[in-house]
Amino acid sequence: MLSPERLALPDYEYLAQRHVLTYMEDAVCQLLENREDISQYGIARFFTEYFNSVCQGTHILFREFSFIQATPHNRASFLRAFWRCFRTVGKNGDLLTMKEYHCLLQLLCPDFPLELTQKAARIVLMDDAMDCLMSFSDFLFAFQIQFYYSEFLDSVAAIYQDLLSGKNPNTVIVPTSSSGQHRQRQVLGEASMEGVEASLFYQCLENLCDRHKYSCPPPALVKEVLSNVQRLTFYGFLVALSKHHGINQALGALPDKGDLMHDPAMDEELERLLVQVPGLVNSVTASPEASCLPSRTPPRVGSPWRPLHHSRKVDAESDGSTEETDESET
Amino acid sequence: MIPGKYRSVSGRATNNVNCGLHLVIQTSSLPEKNKVEFKLNKETPSFPGRLLQHDLERNYSSRQGDGRVISPSPRSKSSCISSTTNVTELYGLEMKTATSSLSAFGDSSIQTSSKSRIRQGCHSAGPNVSGDHINLVSSSMPSFPILQRSSEEKILYSDRLTLERQKLTVCPIIDGEEHLRLLNFQHNFITRIQNISNLQRLIFLDLYDNQIEEISGLSTLRSLRVLLLGKNRIKKISNLENLKSLDVLDLHGNQITKIENVNHLCDLRVLNLARNLLSHVDNLNGLDSLTELNLRHNQITFVRDVDNLPCLQRLFLSFNNISSFDNVSCLADSASLSDITFDGNPIAQESWYKHTVLQNMMQLRQLDMKRITEEERRMASILAKKEEEKKRESHKQSLLKEKKRLTINNVARKWDLQQRVANIATTQDRKDSDSPSQDPCQIDGSTISASPEETGSLDAGLTSALQGLAVIDSHLVEVDGDTLSLYGSGALESLDRNWSAQTAGMVTTVSFTFIEFDEIVQVLPKLKIKFPNSLHLKFKETNLVMLQQFNALAQLRRIDQLTIDPQGNPVVNFTLWKYYVLFRLSHFSMQKINGTEVTQNDMIMAERLFGILAHVASSELPQYRLISILGDARKKQFRYLLETKGKKPGIVNEENNDSKRLVGENTNRATLNYTTRDFYNEKLEEIKEKKKFCKMYIEDLVKEATEINMKNEALQKLWPQMFIELVRDAVIEIRNKNSYMKLCLQQITDQK
Repeated sequence: MLSPERLALPDYEYLAQRHVLTYMEDAVCQLLENREDISQYGIARFFTEYFNSVCQGTHILFREFSFIQATPHNRASFLRAFWRCFRTVGKNGDLLTMKEYHCLLQLLCPDFPLELTQKAARIVLMDDAMDCLMSFSDFLFAFQIQFYYSEFLDSVAAIYQDLLSGKNPNTVIVPTSSSGQHRQRQVLGEASMEGVEASLFYQCLENLCDRHKYSCPPPALVKEVLSNVQRLTFYGFLVALSKHHGINQALGALPDKGDLMHDPAMDEELERLLVQVPGLVNSVTASPEASCLPSRTPPRVGSPWRPLHHSRKVDAESDGSTEETDESET
Repeated sequence: MIPGKYRSVSGRATNNVNCGLHLVIQTSSLPEKNKVEFKLNKETPSFPGRLLQHDLERNYSSRQGDGRVISPSPRSKSSCISSTTNVTELYGLEMKTATSSLSAFGDSSIQTSSKSRIRQGCHSAGPNVSGDHINLVSSSMPSFPILQRSSEEKILYSDRLTLERQKLTVCPIIDGEEHLRLLNFQHNFITRIQNISNLQRLIFLDLYDNQIEEISGLSTLRSLRVLLLGKNRIKKISNLENLKSLDVLDLHGNQITKIENVNHLCDLRVLNLARNLLSHVDNLNGLDSLTELNLRHNQITFVRDVDNLPCLQRLFLSFNNISSFDNVSCLADSASLSDITFDGNPIAQESWYKHTVLQNMMQLRQLDMKRITEEERRMASILAKKEEEKKRESHKQSLLKEKKRLTINNVARKWDLQQRVANIATTQDRKDSDSPSQDPCQIDGSTISASPEETGSLDAGLTSALQGLAVIDSHLVEVDGDTLSLYGSGALESLDRNWSAQTAGMVTTVSFTFIEFDEIVQVLPKLKIKFPNSLHLKFKETNLVMLQQFNALAQLRRIDQLTIDPQGNPVVNFTLWKYYVLFRLSHFSMQKINGTEVTQNDMIMAERLFGILAHVASSELPQYRLISILGDARKKQFRYLLETKGKKPGIVNEENNDSKRLVGENTNRATLNYTTRDFYNEKLEEIKEKKKFCKMYIEDLVKEATEINMKNEALQKLWPQMFIELVRDAVIEIRNKNSYMKLCLQQITDQK
């Protein structure tokens, strides 16, 4: 309430922009819904709890999608909740399909739309292989970008299409990736006509960020992503965004990729739960070992820098050697 | 000769007390002329006649092929052997010994008779050395030998002539013997029947064991009653048109493939077609007097027309190729048949053979040469009844099965259509929602590309097809042992039925097929009450697509086993589904999922994967949310219970406690519940309205608050100045102390 922006706006707009109204509305709505229960332990207590849970980010659990996507804070909270709840799935090393990830999402939000999951999966898998398996981390970071910046990405897609169809300048193309594998470079060479020119694209995006009312990634970071390449495709851009540490940090919902499987508090809690598994006798000895099992390194799903029409097999992607830094790729 | 024959038989008959032989005595005592009566007599007492005729065939048949050694029964066999030796060795010897030796044997009457004929021939030829000599004399003619007999002989045996074993290749011309009634050409090499057309009084013609290839030259023998053509080479029954009085026709041991040209023989009593090449039996009408038909040793596969034989009593079908009773079913319609043989047929090997035959042919007295006892008949009828019942039962079963199959097919078809319609609908929905956004993904992904008109028309077609199908059974409920199977959503209504306590108690497995899972969810509380022992749930084609759908199963009382068929349940393709089931339904401590035993490792894994979810759900939810979620679940569970409350209060209470206990058992999991899509949408709708209201309310509140705030701020801005002004005014007022005091006093006095 003390931020200087406050003075620049009329109160009502300020509250709306900061989503305070959203939470107030929701709080009253919740109050209405659970009148009887809440009346038993006091309205003041309810409001305290409500706003506490908003602060903790637990308010989005099992809520309807319209509420979950209503504010950036809610989105970030949902991302965090998803990561916390299903980190174990990733830790176990299971590769899942888009549909299965969607089911996991639906466990937290019953009416989560399939479309968003599909879009996130497209970032990982490219268009043509929607039934492929994905590692947890790949999916999570792609999903983060897609979910958090959903409206922004829609606008970006529109801009990209515009650039592709009309304003694509016919400049000489030079393969830019210096660190890519030989085979990939070949592919790059062939595919280099694809996509749009990075600088031009950035100008448009900068413009967009300025006037965009929804949250968008920090322009400086977008510039960083785009400055490394001359040309890029839409999905190339998305993948670069999803793999950018800075953007992840700016977003603040998830830990760094390296620490993704790391959540000691929850692990402790899990150990406690495992002991309680019904009918378990020697679980105490068994479980710590099991939990310490080296989780399979989630195989990277291959580089998205191949042409769209080049369909890829799941098996071919399971080698971790194609690991490259995002910056060098872009 | 005939008298001789019968005489010898009579000699035997004195030894053997046999009704057949009584008859023979009778005939033998009669003059030869009364052959007709002999027949008639034979006819009237059925038993003796039958025996006689039967033996006749038997011995004939035994003679053909590998000679006399083979014969159906050992008894007659021994008689044959001994008799042949007797005949050949004692040829021309004192005949009385022969007779006695023969008579010592069983009832092979005809054979003995033929033998006696030989002997008779010998005897008759005795004066002229032998019968052969007669022929030698007569063979002076180049083409046909002419037979002549001495006058004494003629007088002695005026009506019979035996030319047995004379090595004849043609029939001799028999002159001046018009009175002959019996002519015997047994065991010659005659290839053609000739030169006997003048013997018009002939009654008995025996051409056994010759080489005749065609029946011919008999057209003038109108009085012929017995024609024996056994063991020849005849291929076709023909040229019998004028033999209308034929009584016995023996054609055994030939090459006949078909029964034909016999329909006019209305007096024929015995027809022997054993050892021919018949493949079937029919064309028998007209044989109105036939009492015995011998068809042994053919290749008969089916028998027809036998029911057109009003007098048929004995039918011998041994050693043929009959494999089912249906192929001889006409036998059941013959009222006169009393003796039949089937031995040596495939049918006789079947376990049902005897009682089937007996049951179908109540008139039988003998089967396969054995008398049928009452006991057997009773057994047969009992067995047949059982068989019949079994058949009916199995028929009913198969009918039911077929009906079930059809219904299931129908349900499946409907389900398919439904799925397709649903798919089209969702596709359209998505298209609608997608079209405004210019998403490149959408443009690139051409999966959704059906044009609206096209889908529209298809949609209409499908729904009309659905309506058409609705006429037929659209669901199926089946209780098979401990399994309750439900096909089609309509079957869910059956849970409302009043199931007997026994049936309900027995059902431990409930299987759902072709039913939307969401529909099943709604009846789960009913299932819990109506089938309290159901431990094993099976789902097939139920559209299980999400993990959260399993949450719904948690409200059941108990599940030991869960079987989710991959067919129509995409959720099974997920890597994690089993673990999720184990995790969510851990309070059931399930034993099997999809037939695989649940191990402890599975349990640990499930907890490891989803434990945190449960923990987060239970520990991090704000109190009010926790209460409301659990409350929802409880409310849902009680919805059905409330409906039935009036009827069974006791049970409701019990359930109440039960569910409370269950919820208490795993609060951290209970927050994970499943609401069906419809219900959820309803709820969302409700929320929407509330939201709308809240929005307005908050808007008003906030506006008011901001207004107040603005006024307050404005006041805050003005206040310092105002304060200063106020102070200044006050100071000015009290600056002249005296006048101020005066003024004050004045005011006080004024008040009074």
